[in-house]
Amino acid sequence: MTSERREVLTRGIFKENPVFVIMLGLCPTLGVTTQVVNGIGMGLGVIFVLVFSNIFIALLKNFIPNSIRIPAYIVIIAAFVTIVEMVMHAFVPSVYNALGIFLPLIVVNCIILGRAEAFASKNSVLDSFLDGVGMGFGFTLSLTLIAFIREVFGSGTITLIPIGSFDGVIKIPLLYNYPIRILSLAAGALLLMGFLKAFFAWNSERKGETV
Amino acid sequence: MKTYARVGITLALIAAFAATSLAVVNAITAPKIAQYEQKVLEAALSEVSGGYALGSSELVNDNDSIVELYHLVDDNNTLAGYILQLNGNGYGGQMTIMAGYKVDGELLDARLLANSETPGLGKKAESPSYMQKFVGHGGLSEMPIKTNMLDKSDADSVSGSTVTFSAVARTIALGSNYVKELGVK
Repeated sequence: MTSERREVLTRGIFKENPVFVIMLGLCPTLGVTTQVVNGIGMGLGVIFVLVFSNIFIALLKNFIPNSIRIPAYIVIIAAFVTIVEMVMHAFVPSVYNALGIFLPLIVVNCIILGRAEAFASKNSVLDSFLDGVGMGFGFTLSLTLIAFIREVFGSGTITLIPIGSFDGVIKIPLLYNYPIRILSLAAGALLLMGFLKAFFAWNSERKGETV
Repeated sequence: MKTYARVGITLALIAAFAATSLAVVNAITAPKIAQYEQKVLEAALSEVSGGYALGSSELVNDNDSIVELYHLVDDNNTLAGYILQLNGNGYGGQMTIMAGYKVDGELLDARLLANSETPGLGKKAESPSYMQKFVGHGGLSEMPIKTNMLDKSDADSVSGSTVTFSAVARTIALGSNYVKELGVK
């Protein structure tokens, strides 16, 4: 793998993190991050849709006339989202129920259309695939980080996937009885987002990159 | 003209391809989804029946919020209560609630089924323990339909999702009143 390829794959995680640096897809980010499991589930759904829509758009980039590229991208993305939705409903109904309205809303998630327009429509299939994986992974990590902080301090729990006798919920002593309730509400999500954005901006500046 | 035709045909081809692949996936997943929904419905019915046996069921036409009514019978085959499938309006839109009542309107148990409440907040109403604050009310004691009618720990547990709480409470209370009227008839 050349260093450019590696750059395409890894820049979604820190340097061009879709949530903290490019500031895309903030609605689902703030909406679903009340529990860790929702962040992970939403992230996996986005990785799947992003990778496949990037591949198909890169494949079809010479076939789609420029004037109708946006409707064409939306049809492709919506088809993949609907597939994810039906498959999750049939095979993992618990995750489907937890994500609720945010699953169909992946269609209008600006990360996916943003990457289709900014990257996949101008680059090769392999690069678009790597970009999809990197950006999707960066999105998942960001969601999990926000959800972790919000859930630990806002509810005093960490909710993961229930396996066997483990019900999936880890209770944190003290914080469970005296949670900082605002963090689990929308206002707390915005506050936390501001702090994390400041941290990422500081981090880029420290490394001498322009924000 | 030629460009328009090319644009139109391209878009039509993409849409047709998307529609075909969705039809294939739907054909595979639809029976599984229907099976799952049926299982959820049956599980909810047995959970809210309070141990009574399920009798005949009928569709309800005289109340917009009530979809279906199931009779509950005890060991001597006499009427012990009802289960109602109710529609309520939550924070995220329509919600379906399955609720079992004794003949005097007292709630046996209830479950929140299909809903679009916020994950982590209103969605918590899906857990069976959420309904404990309503169980036993609606008959002799009043159904708590406002947060100030709850004790402190219950009131704390619904903070952040008051709209969901009132929607669930009002829907269950409506069912309770409907059952009471049935008893008089």
